Amino acid sequence: MEFTRGGRPVPMGQLERWVTFSTFGDADLVSLTGEIDLANAPEIGKAIVQRLQKSGKVLIDLTTVSFLDSAGVRLLDALIGDLDDHAIPTRLVVGETGAARMTLQLCAFREDVLATDLDRAAADLTG
Amino acid sequence: MSDSGGPDVTQELRPPWDEDPDDLYEHAPCGYLTTLPDGTIVRVNQTFLSWTGFTRGELVGHRRFRDLLTSGGQIYHETHYAPLLRMQDEVHELAFDVVCADGRQLPTLVNSVLGRDDEGRPKAIRTMVFNATERRQYEKELLLARQIAEASERRVRVLQQIVADLAAAPTEAEVAEAVVRAPESAFGAASSSIYLVDPERDTIYAVASTDPTTGNWDDMPRSSQRAVARVAERGDLHVVGSVAEARQHFPDLVDSMRRSGRNTVVLLPLTTGPADDQAGVETLGVLAFSFKGERLLSDGELRVVRLLGQQAGQALDRARLYDDARRREERATFLAETTRSLDELHRLLRRTRRLVERVVPEIADWAEVRLHVGSAPVVEDSGGPRPDEELLLQRLGKVAASGEPVFPSETDQLDCSVLPLTARGLVLGTLALRMAPDRRGAAAERAFLVELADRAGLALENARLYEQERQIARTLQRSLLAGDLPGGDNRFAVETHYQAATQDLEVGGDWFDAFLISKDKLAVVVGDVVGRGIEAATTMGQLRSAVRALASNENGPAQLIEGLDRFVERVESARMATVAYVEIDLAAGEVAYSCAGHLPPLLQEPAGSPEYLLQARSAALGSKAGNRVRTEHRRRLPAGSRLLLYTDGLIERRTRPIDKGFEMLAREYARRRDAPLQGLAAGLADTLVGRDHTDDVCMLCLTLGTEERIERSIGADRMQIALLRADLRAWLVAHDVEPECRDAVLLACSEAVANAIEHGYRDDPFGMIDVVATVTDDAVEVRVTDRGTWRGPVTDVSRGRGLQLIRESMDQVLFDRSDGTTVTMRRGRREA
Repeated sequence: MEFTRGGRPVPMGQLERWVTFSTFGDADLVSLTGEIDLANAPEIGKAIVQRLQKSGKVLIDLTTVSFLDSAGVRLLDALIGDLDDHAIPTRLVVGETGAARMTLQLCAFREDVLATDLDRAAADLTG
Repeated sequence: MSDSGGPDVTQELRPPWDEDPDDLYEHAPCGYLTTLPDGTIVRVNQTFLSWTGFTRGELVGHRRFRDLLTSGGQIYHETHYAPLLRMQDEVHELAFDVVCADGRQLPTLVNSVLGRDDEGRPKAIRTMVFNATERRQYEKELLLARQIAEASERRVRVLQQIVADLAAAPTEAEVAEAVVRAPESAFGAASSSIYLVDPERDTIYAVASTDPTTGNWDDMPRSSQRAVARVAERGDLHVVGSVAEARQHFPDLVDSMRRSGRNTVVLLPLTTGPADDQAGVETLGVLAFSFKGERLLSDGELRVVRLLGQQAGQALDRARLYDDARRREERATFLAETTRSLDELHRLLRRTRRLVERVVPEIADWAEVRLHVGSAPVVEDSGGPRPDEELLLQRLGKVAASGEPVFPSETDQLDCSVLPLTARGLVLGTLALRMAPDRRGAAAERAFLVELADRAGLALENARLYEQERQIARTLQRSLLAGDLPGGDNRFAVETHYQAATQDLEVGGDWFDAFLISKDKLAVVVGDVVGRGIEAATTMGQLRSAVRALASNENGPAQLIEGLDRFVERVESARMATVAYVEIDLAAGEVAYSCAGHLPPLLQEPAGSPEYLLQARSAALGSKAGNRVRTEHRRRLPAGSRLLLYTDGLIERRTRPIDKGFEMLAREYARRRDAPLQGLAAGLADTLVGRDHTDDVCMLCLTLGTEERIERSIGADRMQIALLRADLRAWLVAHDVEPECRDAVLLACSEAVANAIEHGYRDDPFGMIDVVATVTDDAVEVRVTDRGTWRGPVTDVSRGRGLQLIRESMDQVLFDRSDGTTVTMRRGRREA
C-alpha cells in the first residue's frame, strides 16, 4: 500500500479517476474530470470506445475537467468523428469558461457539438 | 568227561547229544550250496530251502546260483562275484537279494570258496548264505534317514535364506516378494501366489504371484467362500491333494487347477504365531502354492511349510508396524513442516495458497480450501481433475454446517474427503481433497487429515485475525496520516509520502504531521513510535494530538519536546518514540527545530549542497539513560529552500552502513533540487528504498517561500507532465497570475513539453527537459529546452495541433533549433 498526497502518478487501470459512465435520460453519459493530457488520454479514449459500442445518444460532460491538452482534443475529435460516422447524436458539455472550453476554442472545435449544460445538451439531442 | 573225573581240555568236548554231521549240514544256521563251476546247484541244505521256499528237486541240477538272484544281483554276480572268485578262489560278504519261490526277495550275504582239482581246474563252488534281512533293513533305514536329513537340510537352508530375506524386507511388498519365491526353491512348487488381509476394508487381495496367468486376482471379502478366504479364516494349513478333493471342499479352485494342470494346492495362512496358539494369533495373509501332479508332502515338509507361514506372518506384521511407524513419522513431519511453512506467511490469501500447495501433490492429487471470510469466499485449489461440482458443493455445505469431517465410502460417488477448518469452535471454511488411493491405514489417514485440518484451521484463523488487525491498523494509520495538511498559502508547500513495508509485517509506527500554529507559524513533524500494529497506530495518534496540543506561538520546539517527555510518563507506549519537530516563522523566514532521538532533517537551500541539520539533538522521548536536555536551534532560510523530514526506513538498510545511507540521500536530494515538489518524496523513496523494502517509509518535504523564477528538470516521460504542471500551477497561483493567463501558460507549457517528449526524444526515453519560468508584473515567460533531435517540419496532425495551441495561447513564441529545441514563450498578464 502506498499513498501520496498530490502528485504521484496513479497507475493506468484506475481510469475511474478521470472517466465514469452513467446515463442521463435516454442518453449514455460520459463524465470526464480532472486533468486530461497526453499521459492518460489514450487509455481514456479506449475505455470510452469500449463502452459506447451500442449507444443511441451520447453526452460527454467536460464541466469538471481542469486541464485539457491537444491529446485530449485529439481524443474528443476522434470520438465525435466516430460517433458521427455511426449517426449517433452527440454533445460535449463544456462550461462557459474554464480550461476545457479554452483549449477547445483555441483549436476551433466544432461549436455545433458543444453545449453549456447537461439539460440543454440532452434537449438538443432529443430535439 | 574223563575217568579221572576232571575235564580233559586237550580233547574235543563232546556235545551232550550225538552231533550228526548230516544233520549239522542240513540244519546249520546258514544256507549251504554246492555248485559246479558254472553255478549249477548240485547240493543244497535244508536251511536254504526253508528260507527260499524251493524244493530240493527244483534247484539241484536245474538252477544255477545266479538264477536265484534279482536282475541287479545277476549283473553284480557277473561283474564282481564270478571274477573275484575265479581270481581269489573265495569271496566274502557279498550282498545278494535272493528271489524266493514266491517272488519275495531275501537279502543275503554270501561267502563262496572255489574248490579245484589236482590239476588246478575249478571243480566245485561251496557257498554259504547268511540271512541279512535285519541288517539290510537297518541299512535301508540308515539310507532313508540320510536322505530325509539331506532333504530337510535343503529345506532348512531355503527357509533360513527366506528368513534372512524376510528380516531384511522392511515393507509389505518386499515381504510378499520374498515369501512368494519360497515354495519353488523349498518344495519344488510350480507356482505360488500371496494374498494379504486388509482388516480395514475387511477384504483379502492378491499382491504377488510367480505365475500371474493362473488364478483369480479379484479382491474378495473375508467372508468369501473362496479357498483363500476360508483358510485365512481358519488360520491353519490346508493341502488340497487332488482336483477331486478340490471339487469336494473348494470348488473355486477346480477351474484354475484344471486349466493350469495343477493337482495339488497348498494353502498356507501367514500368521503371527503357531496355529495351535489360538490366543492372539492373527492371519495377515495366505500363501497359495501348487504342484503339477499329485504331490504328497511329508510330515517334515509340512512342518517346514507351517514354519514358513509363521515366519512370513511375523515378517508381515513387522513390515506393517514398520510401514505404520514410517507413515506416522512422515505424516508427523509433514504436519510440522506445514505448520512451520504456514507460519512463514502472515497474509491470509498467501497462507491459504501455501496450504493448498503443501497438500498437492504430496498427499492429494486435488485439494481445495474454501474460506467463508468476508463477503466473497476465498477459494484456492490445486491439482486435478476437479470432482463433480454439484456433489462437491453439497458435501461442502454439509461439512460446513455440521463441523464434522466426511470421508468417502467405498461406494461414494464423490471420492473426496472434506474436513471443516475450525478455530475457536467456529467453522472458518473447508478443506476438500482427494487422496491417492491407499489400500490400508484408512483410520490412520483419517486421523492425520483431521489433525491437518485442525492445524490449518488455526493457522488460517490466525492469518484472518492478522488480516483484520492489519486492516484496522492500516485504516487507523491512514486516517491519521491522510488528514488535511495546510496548503493554499503561497509562502510554503508541503509534500508527504508514506509507503508501507512490502513484506507482510504489521503496520509500523512512522508518522508525520503539518499544521499552522498561528497565521504565520507552521509546524511540521515526523516521528517514529516503538512497536507495530494497532497499538503503535494508536500511540501515534495520541502523540500526534499531543504535539498539536503542546505547540503554541510562545513555546519553541525545546519546550514542546519537554512537554512530550511529560506526556510519555502517562502514555507508556509512547516511551522511546522519536520526533523531529520544526517550526517555521513564515513572516520572518526563520526555522526552529529540535530532534528527540530522530534522524536529522535534510536542508537544501537554493544555492549550495544539501545539509543535515545536526544541532539541537537529544535522546528519544521519555528516555531514562539518554540526554534529555531539550534544546532548539534557529536559522534563517532563504526562499526556495527545501526541508526534508523522514524516518529511518528511508536510509537504513541492513546491507549498508548508515553513513552510506545519509550520503546517498544527500546526493539524490541534491540531484532532484530542480524536480517538481510533487512526486519528489516518492521519487526519493523509489531510488533509496526500491520496491523490496522491509520497513515503512515516511517522509515530509517542505518548500519555503515563493521563487521568482521556477526551474524544473523532468524526464521525457508523459507521466511527468502533470507533476510539472502542478508545480507550475502553484507557482503561478502564488504570483497571483490571472486564471485565464495561468491556464494559457499551463497549456502552452504542457504542449511544449509533450512536443519534446513525443518529437525531440521519441528515440530517447532518458532525455531530460528543462523548464524555466519567470514572472513579472507584465508577463509570464516560459522556456522549455530539450536536447533531442529535430527532424524537419512536423507532419503529425496531432503535434501540429499542439504547436497551434502554443501559438494560439501565447503572445510570442520562438523556436530555436540550434542545439535540440528551445521554445521560448511569453504571455502578457494584462491583456486577457
